[in-house]
Amino acid sequence: MLSVSKLTKVIAAKGSTIKALATLTLALLLPLKAIAHERFILPSHTILSGDKRQSVSFIASISNEIFHGDRPLGDNGKGVSVPELAPLFKQLKPVVIGPDGARRDMSWQAFSRFSVADAHFKVAGTYRIALVQPNVPMTTFTKVDGSKGRFFGNQGEVPAGASNIVKRTTASRVETYVSFNQPNNRALQSTGEGLELAGKTHPNDLFVDEVLSFQLMFEGKQLKQATKVKVVQGATRHRNQRDEQVIKTDDQGMFSLTIAEAGFYLLSANIDVKGKLGSNIDIHHYGLYATLEVFLQ
Amino acid sequence: MKTDLSGLAAMAFVWILLASPVSQAEQISVEITIPKINSQPYHKPYVAVWLESAQRKGVHTLAFWHEQKDWYKDVRQWWRKIGRQQSPIYDQVTGATRKPGTYTLKIDNKELTKLNLIPGEYFLNVEAVREEGGREFIRQKIVIGAREVKHYEKSGQHELGKVAIKVMP
Repeated sequence: MLSVSKLTKVIAAKGSTIKALATLTLALLLPLKAIAHERFILPSHTILSGDKRQSVSFIASISNEIFHGDRPLGDNGKGVSVPELAPLFKQLKPVVIGPDGARRDMSWQAFSRFSVADAHFKVAGTYRIALVQPNVPMTTFTKVDGSKGRFFGNQGEVPAGASNIVKRTTASRVETYVSFNQPNNRALQSTGEGLELAGKTHPNDLFVDEVLSFQLMFEGKQLKQATKVKVVQGATRHRNQRDEQVIKTDDQGMFSLTIAEAGFYLLSANIDVKGKLGSNIDIHHYGLYATLEVFLQ
Repeated sequence: MKTDLSGLAAMAFVWILLASPVSQAEQISVEITIPKINSQPYHKPYVAVWLESAQRKGVHTLAFWHEQKDWYKDVRQWWRKIGRQQSPIYDQVTGATRKPGTYTLKIDNKELTKLNLIPGEYFLNVEAVREEGGREFIRQKIVIGAREVKHYEKSGQHELGKVAIKVMP
């Protein structure tokens, strides 16, 4: 990749401001791949029935092996100490939205390879279980030796001679859905925070060979910019290929797909939004990671 | 353009015939077989037999044999189409799980009239799920409101044996 200093030279040589700006924007977008990891919540159950209280256990992890843990995601202060992830855990908001739309707290505990939590359901309906990371500032740069560096927050220091310095915020929403007896839609209504999943298909009514219709929402409104949505079945560890389905959203954030095999799937989407002038942020990054369970006919 | 009123009237008459609820004499019977399975331990299967519209909307449960409510969800198709909404209500046809054998289920005239079905295509579904065992789901498209007796037959491979459906005019 071109460093910013090299870019400047290219810009000066070409003398075209518009082209330079376009190239710069592209350069700002590229390094993200290097710092992004998949993350997920895996529920023991997504559909429950019964006349007594029901429980579901969850694991959450930052891992590129889908549904196999690698690093924990979330901690209540009682789990394994992970110093490098502690600042992230401090920012994470565990949120359960109930069938009435009310928010409940949830307690995650870190283990070496994943975090664990329990939730209990007494009232019928659909629950949204999320780990929400609000906009966390992060600076990325390329060091003199060509290696990439980053630091979270505003405390870090960019090493001398570093180039390609980009001030970012990253926000993500990692979530899944559980329905106890009759599902409802209240918990699925957009909260207005970051990237969210909506649409005609209820996320607890997913069956193979049926058309599943969803919509991406951004800050509570339909996402207008065409965005790639990636859907991958769990157990990538045991496959040679990831076999991802990549679907593009339309100008209202809508997309649909069909799934041929029952199982747990991770649906993810990522968008970059340019920082407002004078905000001192170049790029705001938003990620969505939703775990879906698809059943057989 | 000249309008042929008599033709229109005839069409309207046919339409009324088709759209009116099926006749009082209509009756549906479903014979299902729960096969003997050599399995240790053996748990009797949860079984649901129900009717869906052509658009796959739950219409009526003919039978639901179960043990505990915690496991209703595992009768997956029945649960999503009827069970979880409790609509239409299926309490009257629920009972304990049954041992292997052949059972005949009926929708009698009275029930059928209450359902107020428009003649046409429906799905008759049979789903069986066994704890520590397998699951089987059989769907058969049937026509309700035909002039003659209709017979349908399907065979399960694992958790269900023969399923024979008879729809009488």
